[in-house]
Amino acid sequence: MPIAIGVFVVILLVVLGAVLVYRRRPPERAARWHENDRVEGTYAVLLASTAAFLLYLTFTAEHRVDTLANRERPAVIIDVTGSKWEWTFTYPGYGFSVRSGTVGRQPLVVPAGEAVRFQVTSTDVIHSFWIPALRYKHDAIPGSVQITTLSFSRGVFAGQCAEFCGLRHSDMVFTARAVSPAAFAAWARGRGSGPTP
Amino acid sequence: MSVATRHPARFPVIGGWLGTLTSTDHKRMGLTLGVCSLFFFLLGGVFALLMRTQLAQSNMHFVSDNSYNELFTMHGSTMIYLFVTPMAIAMSLYLVPLQIGATRISAPRLCLAGMWTWICGGLVMQQGWFASGGAGRAGWSSYAPQSNGINTPGVGMDLWVIGVILAATGMLVMGGCVVATIARRRAPGMSLLRMPLYTWTALVSVLMVVGSFPMLVLVMVLLYIDRHGGRIFTGFEGSIDYQDLFWFFGHPVVYVMFFPYLGAAAEAIAVSAHKRWFGYLAFVASMMMFAALSMSVWSHHMYVTGGVTNQYFAFTSTLLLVPAGIEYFDMIGTLIGGAIVLRTSMLFGLTFFIQFLIGGLSGIFVASPVLDYHAYGTYIVVAHFHYTLFAGSIFGFFAGVYHWFPKVTGALLREGLGKLHLALMAVGTNLTFFPMFFLGNDGMPRRVSRYPTHPGWGTLNELETIGAGIIAIGVLVFLFNVWTSLRRRVPAGDDPWLGHTLEWATTSPPPPLNFEAPLPPIRSYAPLLDLREEELDRARERAEVTVGG
Repeated sequence: MPIAIGVFVVILLVVLGAVLVYRRRPPERAARWHENDRVEGTYAVLLASTAAFLLYLTFTAEHRVDTLANRERPAVIIDVTGSKWEWTFTYPGYGFSVRSGTVGRQPLVVPAGEAVRFQVTSTDVIHSFWIPALRYKHDAIPGSVQITTLSFSRGVFAGQCAEFCGLRHSDMVFTARAVSPAAFAAWARGRGSGPTP
Repeated sequence: MSVATRHPARFPVIGGWLGTLTSTDHKRMGLTLGVCSLFFFLLGGVFALLMRTQLAQSNMHFVSDNSYNELFTMHGSTMIYLFVTPMAIAMSLYLVPLQIGATRISAPRLCLAGMWTWICGGLVMQQGWFASGGAGRAGWSSYAPQSNGINTPGVGMDLWVIGVILAATGMLVMGGCVVATIARRRAPGMSLLRMPLYTWTALVSVLMVVGSFPMLVLVMVLLYIDRHGGRIFTGFEGSIDYQDLFWFFGHPVVYVMFFPYLGAAAEAIAVSAHKRWFGYLAFVASMMMFAALSMSVWSHHMYVTGGVTNQYFAFTSTLLLVPAGIEYFDMIGTLIGGAIVLRTSMLFGLTFFIQFLIGGLSGIFVASPVLDYHAYGTYIVVAHFHYTLFAGSIFGFFAGVYHWFPKVTGALLREGLGKLHLALMAVGTNLTFFPMFFLGNDGMPRRVSRYPTHPGWGTLNELETIGAGIIAIGVLVFLFNVWTSLRRRVPAGDDPWLGHTLEWATTSPPPPLNFEAPLPPIRSYAPLLDLREEELDRARERAEVTVGG
């Protein structure tokens, strides 16, 4: 991000500078040079190295998010099912579900600080399971169950469908509450019927 | 030159409406296509204003959810299928034969048929508004299964599919005619590496039209069958297949909507700097690299589906920064040492580069899968592609309009109004699209008609709506400028800007067969600049001889 802003500012200043310096000269005074293989070549190499560096960063981060995270043993598994226009969160280990969207208003409750495995699917069209504060989303696609592992810090997070899914797409929202593992266990053992921790 | 007058009798000039509808003159086809595209631009702009009005406050009920879904679908579809892409082709139809010294386009009647197919496509798509249930409403990309007969039933959506098929077929045919013209009709001396910048950008973009539009036609035909009981895009594989096929068209088209406007901005900058474009060979090579990469990045739209190899597409997408960086380098190299005149076309060209930079740099972010896991489907993406398409391409388009309007009409546009137009557009654009980065990052998804009351969101959205209004005023200033410049004409002459390329060597507007006088010798990509430089050298020599003698 700072690099991008830096690049923008540098180019903006160079362009403005060039315009100011070379303004209002008679056309005959315009320079005729229009090529410089060495400078252009060096610059191309510089660009390619920048791309390589960015890719290195990206691949490392992706390995961490997609591969290493899913190797962790999850503390809890939650099935996430998108359907028009409702999220159903099923806790298979405890045998109950909560719903949120156009009908339900029940929050998704997770233990904070532990690996939570989400098994994401859909019953009708493509939805996308998104919790902005975690900077992560994954599509819910009918006919497949996709696995993703996240961990939460304690707090309340807004969540929303991020793939257009028809008339009431705007209302396909939910809240995620990350509570202490003990509070989570107590809530889940009560099959989610007790007060939300 | 003999080629210019070989078959005058075969091209009777018919005036009036009948002539406009049936002429096979590339200039008149280009103008008709351009004017129709501009009409769709205004229509798409109205859709955008309606959307921004709905979004001005968090829980507005200005339009219904269903109408909002129609509006964003038809806004995107109208702008992409009926304005930015066909306008790029319209400019190529008009300019490419002139720039390469050709008298006419290849396969002109086929091209005319293509133009009419496209016009029919546009009209069919817009007829959806009158269908029960409404127009197409599954997004401009119309992902299956959302777009199938169960989830989006109705004639309006069918009309959308058929409209896209017709529009795409028409553009494919016209693109093919431009490719053939460049391949077959270059004037003697006009080798490929002496073609003007604009022609190169046009060539690369129509090659991509030819390469990728058949896929759009195919996927839309399959979608039509699917909608009527064919069960093609079902299950996980079906959903992924649709996206793969669609984006195989959908990403290249982004560059089709970019290259010709880049070319227009580059020509305007080089001419207004009175200096030939710096690094021509590197520029051509970067165009090629751009085209090759842009045909191989399509699945970067699908990082969050879990159905594609993210690393490969991150690799190709990130590499795009190399050709993009070369363009900027060349642009700066052209400015340095030039004799710059800040006329409207130049200002639009420079603003194109600066604003596109925001789109380009944000593109590097969304090219990375891990960052895209957050950005995908949010207003970050909306901001990103509007910075490339609107803050970029549209400004390049206007650079081209101010640059070539005198050639096309023989009259100059008013500079004062032009600069007012630019100022309004630049302020409006940044006010509309920059806050979207913050909204998206904060968690506002795209394609929602309502959003929760969230601290700051109301203000940012209000600013965006005001910005959209300013853009609209800017566009009205432009239309007024065109109207008044045509009514009270300031004659432009053949070459008001000291142009570099062959279109400035003929009259304004050019005669039916483009060139009546012999073409100047073509020894580089700026033949008219060559002539002026030789003239200058001779004058200097004479002066030296006089002084020395």
